[in-house]
Amino acid sequence: MSTEAPATMEIESNPLPPKPKFEPLKPHEMSDGRVQFRKVSVPPHRYSPLKKCWMDIYTPVYEQMKIDIRMNLKARKVELKTRPDTPDVSNLQKCADFVQAFMLGFDVPDAIALLRLDELYVESFEIKDVKTLRGEHLSRAIGRLSGKGGKTKFAIENATKTRIVIADSKIHILGSFANMKIARDSLCSLILGSPAGKVYSKLRQVSARLAERF
Amino acid sequence: MAASIEAAVESLRQIRITEPPLWLVPKQELSEAVRAASKHLFASLKPHSPKSPFDQLLIEGFDAEQIWQQIDLQSQPLLSNLRREVKKFEKNPEEISKLKEAVKEGKNEKVLEENEPDDVDELDEDDDMDLDEVEEEDEDGEQEEKESGREEDGESEEEERGGIEDKFLKIKELQEYLEDEEEAVEEEDDKLGLFDKYDEDDDDDLGNARYEVFFGTKNNKGSKERTKSRDMLEEDSESDDEQNVDKRRDGLSTHEKEDAELQSKIKQMEKENLDPKVWTMRGEVTAAQRQKNSALEVDLDFEHNVRPAPVITEEVTASLEDLIKSRIATGLFDDVQKAPSVTSKAPREIKELDENKSKKGLAEVYEEEFVRKTDPASAPLSFSDELKKEASMLFKKLCLKLDALSHFHFAPKPVVEDMSIQTNVPALVMEEIAPMAVSDAAMLAPEEVFAGKGDIKEEAELTKAERKRRRANKKRKFKAEAAKRMAKKPREVAPVYSDDGDYSICSAFKS
Repeated sequence: MSTEAPATMEIESNPLPPKPKFEPLKPHEMSDGRVQFRKVSVPPHRYSPLKKCWMDIYTPVYEQMKIDIRMNLKARKVELKTRPDTPDVSNLQKCADFVQAFMLGFDVPDAIALLRLDELYVESFEIKDVKTLRGEHLSRAIGRLSGKGGKTKFAIENATKTRIVIADSKIHILGSFANMKIARDSLCSLILGSPAGKVYSKLRQVSARLAERF
Repeated sequence: MAASIEAAVESLRQIRITEPPLWLVPKQELSEAVRAASKHLFASLKPHSPKSPFDQLLIEGFDAEQIWQQIDLQSQPLLSNLRREVKKFEKNPEEISKLKEAVKEGKNEKVLEENEPDDVDELDEDDDMDLDEVEEEDEDGEQEEKESGREEDGESEEEERGGIEDKFLKIKELQEYLEDEEEAVEEEDDKLGLFDKYDEDDDDDLGNARYEVFFGTKNNKGSKERTKSRDMLEEDSESDDEQNVDKRRDGLSTHEKEDAELQSKIKQMEKENLDPKVWTMRGEVTAAQRQKNSALEVDLDFEHNVRPAPVITEEVTASLEDLIKSRIATGLFDDVQKAPSVTSKAPREIKELDENKSKKGLAEVYEEEFVRKTDPASAPLSFSDELKKEASMLFKKLCLKLDALSHFHFAPKPVVEDMSIQTNVPALVMEEIAPMAVSDAAMLAPEEVFAGKGDIKEEAELTKAERKRRRANKKRKFKAEAAKRMAKKPREVAPVYSDDGDYSICSAFKS
């Protein structure tokens, strides 16, 4: 490159080298080429469902997400590992979330949505966070939440496009942020004691409003 | 007699002094005293009541009711007698003075008792007479009242005065006259007109009653004397009134009678005019200005804003019942029908909450949503869309059926291209149901039913020769085919000829 004394302000003194182009780091190259791990522990009640649905879990993780997945039987954990050809660093986290969702109790088709959509989250809370209930009151509250044959829960799920898992005192909600909020509000009002009909009417209004936006 | 009288008086006194509360309790001495007193009173009144059947009041052995009846029997005609006497004295005051002289002779208590009512009557009569005079002469009202007052005094004093005065000269009356004359001078200006009338009367009366003016009639003891001619007018007016009063008793001439009637009528009407009007003739009258319940006696006329209640008669009832019956028969009840409310806006779609577990996974749900957002056409039908489609199909079918019933607006069934077995329903049956509206375009055409040529005969119609010919043709055809088949695949086809005859084979092929 020829060097020229700066005669005028417009001409730069040294022509800058071309901007370097850096490709985003592959997850494999991150942390200096070491492999990234995730480990998800399996609760005992999900052990046999995991065995049943293993292939449904394995296939999308390995094929589409390009993440290595294996089950450590001794430690009762699912281990996830990046491969050299993993395209995106977030894949590992998504897969870990997917497996975690399955462990919480969600079905595979529902948990798959976590892999496919970015904006889906899982929220967990306990009944005692909302209201301190003991003994029979707690049982009744759980019954109110589910409804007869689970119809209240399904109604909330269908209206708000979320998935809900009620495990004893723990409640897990899977869905987008706004929908999760609505589902959480409905569940909280049910815990606090309002009857199902009232919750339904509110759900109708809210879901109608949500639908109108499109 | 005297002792009994004294006893009676004593008993009366005792009754008088007894305290009222003591009468509440029946006591022997009180009742005896009362009985004695009433017996005495009865006996004292006996001479004045001629119709009484009892000589004395019978007390022994009679109870209170019977004693009272006896007293009543005596007192009733007595009272009516007394009333009659009072009325008589009203009309003829000179009777009283006669009675009074008689009274003076008698010295009984009874007569005194009679006198007292007589005196009272006399005074009353004087008042009445004065009132009559006042009514007759309203114009000279004030003067007359004074005159009458003085007249009363004069009359009462008349009898007491002694020798100086006689029938002509009365000094008191002279004094009164002079005073009245002075007043009359003042009143003359007001009442000039009225004096004319009195002049007329005076002329009439003067011509007839000169003697009576001066000396008075034999009935009238209290005559007035006239000295001055000027006074005469007033005197005459006074005396005329008195004369009129006298003449009424004597018998007036026809003219005087008519005149008197006219005068009384005039006076009556004038009095009415001067009096305050009856409340019905006044303008606005509140309840405080008229007597209590006086509006009930008058037939008031005012506008009624409500229709009067209908009088229910037999005809009315009968007409009503007929109307009811006819209405029931025709079923024409005037029921109020609810006016249909027009819905202003279309009903909103109510999203029904699905209470079943959703068959799609969450990923599919979001996928569909995304697709619907980006590319609505290719989006799979939602549940509501499918419902709509089903509903529209049902409605179309229904409309078609309804159109078929109305022949004028028939539109043929739309051709739906789908494979379905066509049943060859006989056209006759179809025509019975809906003769006009059925199109047999979808039915099989005749040539599709049977495509044949020539003269077709049934089995029964064939003659023997024709039957044989047919069979012979069939056999020939069959043989040709069999030969062909044998030539193609000699292995597969087994000769099935049998010695039984062709009939079995032919029959197998036929069936």
